[in-house]
Amino acid sequence: MIKSIFDWLKQPLGLIAVGITVLTLFSVAAYGIYTTQQAPEQPIQFPHQTHVAFGIQCLYCHPGASKGPAAGLPSQAKCWACHNQIAKTETSALLAPLKEAVLSGTPIQWVPVAQVPDFVQFNHRAHIAAGKNCEDCHGDMSKVTIAQNPQVFNMGWCLNCHVESAGEDHEKLVKLSDCGTCHY
Amino acid sequence: MATLSDLKISEVKLGEEHTGKWGMVIDQDICTGCQACVAACAMENNLSFVGEEDSGYGRSMHWIRIERFWEGEYPEVKMTPNQPMMCQQCGSATCEPVCPAFATVHSQAEQLNLQVYNRCVGTRYCANNCPYQVRSFNWRDYERPEPLPNQLNPDVTVRRRGVMEKCTFCIQRIHKAQDKAKSEGREVVDGEFTTACAQACPANAITFGRVDDPESMVSQLAKRSHGVKHLEELGTLPNVTYFKGG
Repeated sequence: MIKSIFDWLKQPLGLIAVGITVLTLFSVAAYGIYTTQQAPEQPIQFPHQTHVAFGIQCLYCHPGASKGPAAGLPSQAKCWACHNQIAKTETSALLAPLKEAVLSGTPIQWVPVAQVPDFVQFNHRAHIAAGKNCEDCHGDMSKVTIAQNPQVFNMGWCLNCHVESAGEDHEKLVKLSDCGTCHY
Repeated sequence: MATLSDLKISEVKLGEEHTGKWGMVIDQDICTGCQACVAACAMENNLSFVGEEDSGYGRSMHWIRIERFWEGEYPEVKMTPNQPMMCQQCGSATCEPVCPAFATVHSQAEQLNLQVYNRCVGTRYCANNCPYQVRSFNWRDYERPEPLPNQLNPDVTVRRRGVMEKCTFCIQRIHKAQDKAKSEGREVVDGEFTTACAQACPANAITFGRVDDPESMVSQLAKRSHGVKHLEELGTLPNVTYFKGG
């Protein structure tokens, strides 16, 4: 039985069938990996570069970063404070979901882009206080539309910076390389 | 062959070198055994609800438990004072050297025994080696029916199946207090924060603080002569002091 299947596969038609199967599997896998590298679908195609170009600070929309663990994503009320004074808001198709959210009072479901796993306890405040700038981790927002991660947020990347910033200070190195600083 | 008394001498020397950082004092004489600390700990630290069936297999999960013992022969049985038991945050912990994955390690910064959930592979060796039997293992992903997920503490990891866990001395509160103090440009003040169990205790039987600070409440209390550290003869250098019959 098995021998007859192998014999069929060895003839030209069989080889073509094997080739097609291998190619299909390879392209499905490649497409699967490609999709994991894409920015998630957002309710509004928010243009970061336009807002940065107007001189709006990161902390205006993400004020939590200087105060606590989470930077926060703005509610539609924050967007509306500026946008209800802008004539284009009424006509732009891009801004239609914002207008609808404000009129109906339903929150905009932003999809967080920069995330760490549940077992990592990250605190924005400590990093801002240590003199880190937003773009050091999140990349240059004046160049992107939807936020994208310039690198993978993994532990090696975190620790590199922790060890570097501790420098010669042994006490600081102990604190910054301690498992319990981020994992609990 | 080394006898137990030889062992004790070497461990006393070890003990003299040891200074912990965070410690606890528990007064068993005023503990009423009300279990408020057990409930508070479970809420603070996102403990799973194991349920009746698995509890029957001895798989119940608590980071703190109230132990009860009895003295004397029937019918003159007398209960000893309630004994809250949690991780003693040993200075020389027996759980640490046996972990093959280095998931339970000693924090040099906070002098606590850490359990790193993402490293844990679930051999349960640490729990078997703990003389206080205070570690609990996630045998399953226990269900949290709605609306219970809403009360999860965002500062604490929700553990998965196959991971060991134990009392952390509420390290999330330690970090929060340190972060707050740092943002205000000062040191953490004694009594500024406490663990969930100590906060919930209606009798104030549990006191938490810095044992390396001689001025702190916990150091002052630990000076009382009848303080006992459990299973100290094993050389574990526990950081919890118990008072009984004072």
